[in-house]
Order: sequence, then C-alpha cells, then structure tokens
Amino acid sequence: MSLDERITPEQAATQVGTASGENKEYSVIGKSVGRIDGRAKVTGQAKYTGDLKFPGMLYGKILTSPHAHARILSIDTSEAEKLPGVKAVITHKDVPSLKYGISPARWDENIFCIDKVLFVGDKVAAVAAVDEETVYKALKLIKVEYEVLPAVLDPLKAMDEGQAQLHEDYPRNLNTEIHQSFGDVDKALAEAYHVRTDYFVGQRAYQSPIEPHSAISVWEDDKLTVYSSTQSPHYFQYYIARQFGLPMGKVRVLKTHIGGGFGGKLEPTGLEFAGAVLAKLTGRPVKMFYDRHEMFAHNRGRHRQYMKLSTGVDQNGKILGVHADFVMDGGAYTSLGVASAYYAGALLTILYDFDNYKFDMYRVYTNLPACGAQRGHGHPQPRFAFESHLDNIAKDLGIDPIELRLRNARKANTVTPNDFKVESCALTEAIEKARDISNWKQKRSHRPQGRGIGIGLGAFVSGAGYPIYRTNLPHASAVIKVNEDGSSATLYTGAVDIGQGSDTILCQMAAEAMGYSFAKMQIISADTEAAPHDFGAYASRQTLMSGWAVKEAGEEIKAQLLNTAAGIMGYAVEELDCRDERIFVKDQPEISKSFAEVAKEFFVTQGPLVGKGSYTPPKLGGKFKGAAVGTSPAYSFAAQVTEVEVDEETGEVKIVEAWDVHDCGKVINPALLHAQVHGAFYMGMGEAVWEEVKFDDQGRILNSNLAEYRLPTALDMPKFHSELVDSYEPNAPWGVKEVGEGATTPTMGSISNAIFDAIGVRISSLPMSYEKVWRALKEKRKQQTT
Amino acid sequence: MYLPDFDYYAPDSVAEACSLLAEHGPKAKILAGGTDLLHKMKHGELAPEVVVSLNNLNALKEIRYEQGRGLIIGARATQNDLATSPVIQEKYRSISEAAHHMANNQIRHIGTVGGNIVNAVPSADLPPILMALGALIQLVGPTGKRTMLLEEFFLGVHQTRIQGDEILTEIIIPEQGFTGSTYIRFGLRRSGALAVASTAVSVTMDGEICRGLRIALGAAAPVPMRARAAEAVLLNRKITDELLEEAGVQAAQESRPRNSIRGSEEYRRDLIRVLTRRALKKAITEGHV
Amino acid sequence: MAQVITDAQGVKRYLINLSVNGDTHTLMVKGNSLLVNVLREDLELTGTKKGCELGDCGSCTVLMDGKPVNSCMVLAVEAEGRAITTIEGVAPNDKLDKLQESFIDHAAIQCGYCTPGMILSGKALLTRNPHPTEEEVREAISGNLCRCTGYVNIVKAILAASEQE
Repeated sequence: MSLDERITPEQAATQVGTASGENKEYSVIGKSVGRIDGRAKVTGQAKYTGDLKFPGMLYGKILTSPHAHARILSIDTSEAEKLPGVKAVITHKDVPSLKYGISPARWDENIFCIDKVLFVGDKVAAVAAVDEETVYKALKLIKVEYEVLPAVLDPLKAMDEGQAQLHEDYPRNLNTEIHQSFGDVDKALAEAYHVRTDYFVGQRAYQSPIEPHSAISVWEDDKLTVYSSTQSPHYFQYYIARQFGLPMGKVRVLKTHIGGGFGGKLEPTGLEFAGAVLAKLTGRPVKMFYDRHEMFAHNRGRHRQYMKLSTGVDQNGKILGVHADFVMDGGAYTSLGVASAYYAGALLTILYDFDNYKFDMYRVYTNLPACGAQRGHGHPQPRFAFESHLDNIAKDLGIDPIELRLRNARKANTVTPNDFKVESCALTEAIEKARDISNWKQKRSHRPQGRGIGIGLGAFVSGAGYPIYRTNLPHASAVIKVNEDGSSATLYTGAVDIGQGSDTILCQMAAEAMGYSFAKMQIISADTEAAPHDFGAYASRQTLMSGWAVKEAGEEIKAQLLNTAAGIMGYAVEELDCRDERIFVKDQPEISKSFAEVAKEFFVTQGPLVGKGSYTPPKLGGKFKGAAVGTSPAYSFAAQVTEVEVDEETGEVKIVEAWDVHDCGKVINPALLHAQVHGAFYMGMGEAVWEEVKFDDQGRILNSNLAEYRLPTALDMPKFHSELVDSYEPNAPWGVKEVGEGATTPTMGSISNAIFDAIGVRISSLPMSYEKVWRALKEKRKQQTT
Repeated sequence: MYLPDFDYYAPDSVAEACSLLAEHGPKAKILAGGTDLLHKMKHGELAPEVVVSLNNLNALKEIRYEQGRGLIIGARATQNDLATSPVIQEKYRSISEAAHHMANNQIRHIGTVGGNIVNAVPSADLPPILMALGALIQLVGPTGKRTMLLEEFFLGVHQTRIQGDEILTEIIIPEQGFTGSTYIRFGLRRSGALAVASTAVSVTMDGEICRGLRIALGAAAPVPMRARAAEAVLLNRKITDELLEEAGVQAAQESRPRNSIRGSEEYRRDLIRVLTRRALKKAITEGHV
Repeated sequence: MAQVITDAQGVKRYLINLSVNGDTHTLMVKGNSLLVNVLREDLELTGTKKGCELGDCGSCTVLMDGKPVNSCMVLAVEAEGRAITTIEGVAPNDKLDKLQESFIDHAAIQCGYCTPGMILSGKALLTRNPHPTEEEVREAISGNLCRCTGYVNIVKAILAASEQE
C-alpha cells in the first residue's frame, strides 16, 4: 500500500468522531471489547512457556560467572556429568563460536564465553537434567578455574587510559560514540537571553516482567522448534538460524502467552541457543529457564546514564538551542544498546519546537550486565532530565512551567531539526486539558506544606521507521482466512501479544475491515511457521504497523466478498458494502445477504477465502549518521501532571494523584488503551522513586529479588486519571498512534517537578528515593541556617 | 531455586519435638511458618539434614488472656492471627497493628510470631512492640521450661539464648497498667518492605506526667534494643513536645544502626529520632494503637 | 505423620493426601518438595505461577483453608490436611466466578501472569469481607505484584465484584 492511497486528515475529520467516545462510523473499532484471551487468563488455562511439558522433556540451566572480569583457565564438567540424572553438559566447545548482537558492526557476544567472562552472570556452560533440582545441583559441580582480572565498574572512568579493556576491538571501552549537530547551537546559546546548564543521572533499572524467561527447544530430524517467552519470534528465528547455519525455514519460533516483556524479552538470552544444543545432544526436548536472580543477572535493563543539558532561551522562554552531552553505562555487551544510545538524543527534539540542537553521546563498556531496551527505549531518562531542566529554567524566568511548555510545544505538520516529520500533533490541547483537569492553577497557588504538583511531557514513535536488523522485509504482514461456512475467521499475524492486548485490537481491526464481528474472530499469532512475518512487540509498533497489514488483509476479504455478492444479488460492487456481518445495498440497506452465506458461496465457487496484507513504512528521515533512529510514521504525545506529598522529616514521597492526557490518534479499544497508560505511568513511577539495580564493588548485584528491587505495590499507586484529546494520524490505519511506551516517558519528569514544587530542591539523580529527598531537605535547612 | 534434601519430622508433642532436636543436634532446624527458614535454605545459607516441623502442635497457636498471668500468645500464631485476634485487639491493639503492617498478606498467613522472634534479625517487627510491653517468653527443652524477658533473649544477628533442643512455645505479656502503646515502622514502600527503622513504645501516663515507659528500637542495632537514655528523658516528667523531641534525639544517639542498601547509618539514625518522637506522641495521646 | 519410604539413595519420600479444588490426590513427595512444584508438575495445575520463588511477588498464591499463601513458601508435606484452592478451582464448572467476570469486564488483565494470584487474593478478601473499602482491596493485593496494570483496573474489578453481592 502506498501513502497516496490513504485518506487525508481532512477526509478523516469527517469520518472520525471523538477519540474518547463511541463512533457511529465504525462497528467494531473504538469499542472496549473484552480481551480475546481474558477467559483463558482468569481461569488459569492460559499456558506460558514455563507451563508447557513435552514427553521426555529435560530441564536446563546456564552456569554463569561469579567474577566481573576474569580469564577462563579451565572448565571441568566431569563431576557434573557423573551426577545421576544429568544428561548433558556443554561449554563453548560444544556450540558455534559465531558472535551475535544487534548489528554486524557490534556483534560482540558469544553463546558461551570462550576466553574471558565480562560480568557477574556471563554465560559459561549449561546443563540438561531430568528435573529442576538436579540441574541446580549439577551447576554447582562444574569447576571453572578463573584468573581474576581488574574490572571496570564506573562508566565515567571506563574511557580513561590504563583502565581494563573489555573487548579487543573497542579501545577505551567505547562501544558507541555519537556526535550530531543541527543548526548552530553555539551561536544560539551565545545569543540567548538566558542559558542554563544542569546535570542529571539516571539509574540502572530492570524491566522485571513477572514471568521469568524460559525457552523449550525441540528437534524433529533437522528442524528446530523453540517455544520461547519472546517479544519477537522473528528476531529470535533470525539469530538462531544464523548461529546454527540453518535456513530460517528449518527454525520455528513461537510463543504461547507471555508474562510481560517491556523490552527485556526482545533479544535471545542464551536460553534458546544453549537449549537448542542440549536438545540436539540428548535427543529430548529441553526446557531452559531463568529464576528471578538470573533474570536480574542477565538484565538488559535501562542504562545508567549521565546527562548534561545546556539550553538557551529568549526572554519569553522560547527555546533557541539545546546541547545534550551524555554518557551511558552499557555494561559488558552491546545488546540493543546502540539503539538506546541514538534514541536518547534523537527523541529530545520531538516535544518542543527549536532549530538548533547538538547531541554528544558516549556509550561505554563496563564489567556489569549489558543494558538494552526498556519501555520507552532510551527516551525516559533524557526526558526526565529535560523536563526537570525546563522547570529549572521556568523558575529562573519566573514563568509557570505549563505556560513555558505551551510557548514551546510542537505543532502538527512540523519537522524536527533532526528531520522527523510530525503530522498529527495535539500536544497543546493535551497540555491544556491536563492543566484543567488537574486543577493546576489552584493547586500551584495554594499548596499545603509538603505538597507539590508538577508536569512532564512525553512522546514516542509509533513503530521504528527502519527494521531491527538490516533487511528489506516488510515490517508487518497478515493473513486472514474465513472459515468455509463463514462462521468464523482466523487472523494469522507475526505480531506479538505480550500482555498489551495486540491480539484483541488486531482482531477488532480485522473485523472492522472485513465488515465482520469481533466475537467470531480467532487469532494465531507470533508463530514463525503458522503466521506470516512481523517484527514483533517493540518500539510501540504493532497498532500502527501490524494494524496496516491487518486492515489491508481485511479489506481484501471484503472486496472478494462484495464481488461474489454482486453476482448473487445483481448489483454492482460499488453499490454494496459490508458491516456487522451483513452485505447490503448502500442505498437500500434492507436488501442484504449474510456474510456467512456469501462467504460459503465464495468457498464453493472459488476456494478458500483468504486476504493478505503487508506494510512497509515510506522512506523516512534525514541523511546524517544515525538518522534512522527515531524516525516513525507517527508520534504520540502526552502531558502528565502528578501531585505528591513529601514527609519533610523522613523524605518519604507519596504520589497522591496523577493525570495523563494523551494524543494517541484514533483509539481502537479505549479500555485497553487506558490500561496501557496506567501501566506505563506505574513503571515510570517505580523508576522515579523506588527502583534501582544496585551493585557492590565487585560488580555483584545486591538486590536481585523483588523484595529489594522494589516494584511499587497496590498501596503505592495513586489515584489515577487517564484522558484523551481528539487526534487523527494520516499515516496510520484509521488514524491510530502508539500509547504503550510513550506513556512512560513523561512520568519521571512530572514526579521530579512535583517533588521540586513540594520541597523547593531539585533531586537530580534517579531514583528520587526517600533518603535522597531527606538528604536534600537536610542540606536545604543547613543552608537556610547559615 | 530449590531446597536442599532433608528428613522431615512433624512431631505430635513439644516433648517429642525437643527429643528430636536433642537427637539430631546442630543438623536439625525447627520449621514453624517457614518464611525465614525456607528463604535461607533456598539461598544455600542453611542446609539442615533434619527439619522438625511444629505443624502438628496446634496448642501453640492459641492466643488467650489469663487472669493474673496476662496475655498469652502461642508461638505458632501467625502474624495474621495476631493482627485479627479479638483478644489482642482488645488488650493491645498496638500488637495487632504491628503484625498487620508486616511483609504482605500471604506471608502473614504463614509467618509466625515465634519465627519472627527466634530468627533474630534487626529489622523484625514484632520484637520491639513485645519488648516495649515487657513481654516474657517461654522456652521448653527436654529437661523443662524456662521463662525470660524477651529483651534479654537476643545476643546478635541470628543469635539468641535458645538452646539447640529448645522450642519457643509462648509469649506472655503480664498486666502492667500501661495507658498506651504503639509501633511505628518506616519501610521503603508501603507493603513488602523490611523496616529501615522502627520504634515501639509503651507509656503509663498520670495526667501529663509520664510515670513509666519503655522505648524499643528495631533495625537500630544488631539486636532489638531498649532506648534507655531516651526513656530517662521522659520518666516522671511533664510531657511537652520539646521533651518528646529530646527523647527522639536521645534515642537516635544511643542507637547503633548500620549502613545497608536500604539506608545509611546517618539516615536511619535520623529516622529513629523522628519515629521515636512520633510514636511517643501517639501512645500518649491515643492509647494502645 | 505421613508414611515414609526411603529410596536406594537414602532419600525419604512421604505419602500424602492433598486436597486440591475438592479432589484428593495421593502423592509421594520428598520433604523438600514445595507445594508450588507439586501443583504444577505432579498435578499439572499450571495456573499457579512461579515468579520469584521467595514469597515476594504473589504469582504462586493459592488458598489454604481459604487463606491466601505463597505456595513457593509451603512444603507439600505441610499442605496435607488443608483445603487447597488454586485458580483452576475458582470456577469448577464452565461458569466463571463473578470476580473472574469482573476482571475481564474491567480490563484488569494484561499479560495475565499475576492474574491467578490476584484473583485468589481478591476472592479470599471478598469471602472474608464482602464489602471492602478501596484501601482494604489495595491492602489485600499488596502482596501480589503486577508489572502491567498499575493495579488501577484490578482494584476497580474487585470493588465492582463486591458491589454485586
């Protein structure tokens, strides 16, 4: 489908009603239908990878390094092999030595370490045995002799001369270096009325899905099937096939239900690679799994990041130029982090309209677990920094923070300095609505002791403009097959429901496009063999991208049906339409045939009724190095206001109430959409105040459990309001945009600004823990008395 | 995760349990609720060859009031039993409240008061409030029973005066004429968080004069500790807000908190000041809460 | 005390009768067998999830004599003689419990991994306290971590089910 075939915003305006309300134009989309997997999930019938069992199945685990940096001198597996019940033990000698990672330039990871281990938790060997207990016991019997090497744990020192180097090919531990410049920042700052520089630090956070990772590998002759808790079966299939030199057609990757991902299940973990080898060696299915500690050790969470921001503004607060100078702690491998590094700078231009922008980034290797993509990929921490920085500027200028944002807010049909084209954008409306529903003005002017209210804005891509690895495959595709008697239809798609509800909304979209009903839809998704290709659940891409493919497939079904109906009913195709399972004459709707009747006739006369669709975004973005990252057909926008109460003696922060107003285009399922906002705010809130992965001076994680890595509980979550503004995105099916990741981007900034408002001191590092708040207040009192 | 192998015994009497413990010596561990023991076994910190479960000793779950003896809490009573017991709520609501704010609901249904005491960690929630109320504990061994003040029970982290073949059977709170008591804990989230600092107090007020009090601090030292210097600030004095603050400062001073990932020594010390002052105020003005 | 059989390696196994969702199962378990594993592996009741194995997340919540407990912190031998309810026992017939319906109706499910534990914690609360306040609902599920929903719709679903009493 080309861009020209899509409707214009003007046409759309006549078709689309309010974003929040029901829409008479549509039968299926825009409605809060219950989840297609709801019943399975409330009854316990829903099977996750770890729940699956196969005859003769073995259990497997990976042995990991106890040292942050060490040379492997020898590995002795003999004792482990002797333990009754152990069926296979493997090391680097038993697996391919091909390196993998996100892009050829940075393939830096092996299935098992060969010469050196690079972090506590690095993969060394694996065991398969008859049960879980035996596997754990066998791991303890593998003897690895190490020569411990000096480790680099501080990213700010990792680039210094004389520091230990992790990878031979990366001097000074520089994994990624980015220097981008647009316009003339130096000139803009020199000419500005006011220039402010602030420093912020973001912490290492972890996605912490409640379901631990697992993967079951099964061989039938030379074909490998991997059941995995993955966000992207396709990406796994690609790398598994590559490692083992198999054609992709000989590797089937599929998921059942996924217990959350948030970026942490986007790339292969080693469970798939090691499991495939163990299954081959033993001739039995092998289930590999992580426990909670191992999840933390594998990590791939949010990067620790050091952020310096300098911004020049004119007298009215209009932003003239911004310089972002960042260092990211990448951990021991690239993982998906090169993309995180680009995203960190790329999306700083999306919310506010300014011409001059400079972005410098150093992503460095350290002997810590690798960091990767976590909800909002790369954007939430820089956004926290920028939103906090902007409130500091507002205070300097004596301008209300909302007023300052309104003066700079991006408008529809504009282009960012780094060449992102923004078509729909209702940011101003979102800010105004958030201001009004939160009662901002009143709360800002009369606040009780310890109370504060703050705003933060956010935005995100509705799918990445370019694929996750270099390929010319379409980004999404879909097939719909109508059952022979028309009584049901099945959507086949590679899109991945990891909990966000894509199976449900894609079925709504399919039914809408076909003129069918949601209740009769079924779905087979995220199975590289049974469903057509899709890149999966990341970059908040599925509603728009998978949605386009599904819409096209549904429309193809409808076109074929109308064609058949025209013959039966004696009308021209143009005179007919199909909705709610009825094909009718547009001018005389009482003349109609049922969908099922015509579908059956189609099958009898022409064979299977199948529709297909695929989607590739148009060429997006500029020509500079890294121009691809941050491009998207569409961007969501959000304003969040948070009210907090701080105990000024203990530093305890209570989030009292929060309001989110979103521009996320046309909404397919309002209930699921708001639920995404709730969860996104929740995750941002956790990172704002509670969550941090902590290490000791040997690089060992101190809190690899859910008691000390504190996800907020139901008692910590505030009263929450999620609202929408009307919006329609011309580059998207039915005008949709993303919501799942963007909604987490404003949260840390809005909480930071609320705490600032409450206590008058800026906490510039995440998380804004009770102790940090206590310390800041103590310092403030000290300064006041001197 | 997995538990190491062990032989499991569930004796039907305290005497039988004691003799099993005596027989197996240091290889044996007592299992009450299991929330601490199984945790440590899963982490490989403990690998007892024999586990002696108190599961069948239902008499140890009893909570009752005996005229002359006071409130008696069976050591196997769960934290939720304490939280919901009408007898405790009537006598010392402060104990119920302390139990109610521990861990989370699921853990409170299996974690026991005895386990919370014998495990002997600085952040345990029940020892401070029980100590503040002058609790005694009864230990039963093969040769008989003995009773001691709870505050004399603790020797260090995971170290107590219990002998390998003894079982903590009950906690006794003698009638002492307190007018108020309370426990305030400070955790890093509102559920499922260990106390970073906590203060329990009991007071006996005579009008505005404080005629008797105990202050017990949690997570303030290797063992739950009495803040005796802080108590001395208030004893037999007319209570004012300034005096309560002074007691808080004194409690902070005599505490010996440690640095940990949950909080620095400095932070904990200041929390103790604030919590002590707030707890005193609450017990003085609101009774047993 | 359960009947004991010692195997060739000297490991003891205990014969227990486990009452799960109204059915009694006779099983041989090791002393170190955890209830969660026996439910999932031996009885194939995989609706009970494993999330943290340390009693922190609540995914493995089951009801023991009507009270929610973490089945990862309970020895199978100790569950003998107790009435265990897992998520599979909440709607023993085809008809969903009103709390399950309410979870679907209020979009209180996302990935679904915490859902069985949430429903059991909610069910135990409503049985004990048919008309809880919002704070009581939050308290009752505060040992069940959810990474997807921010608990917003879960709280609504439980409150709505309570109003149907």
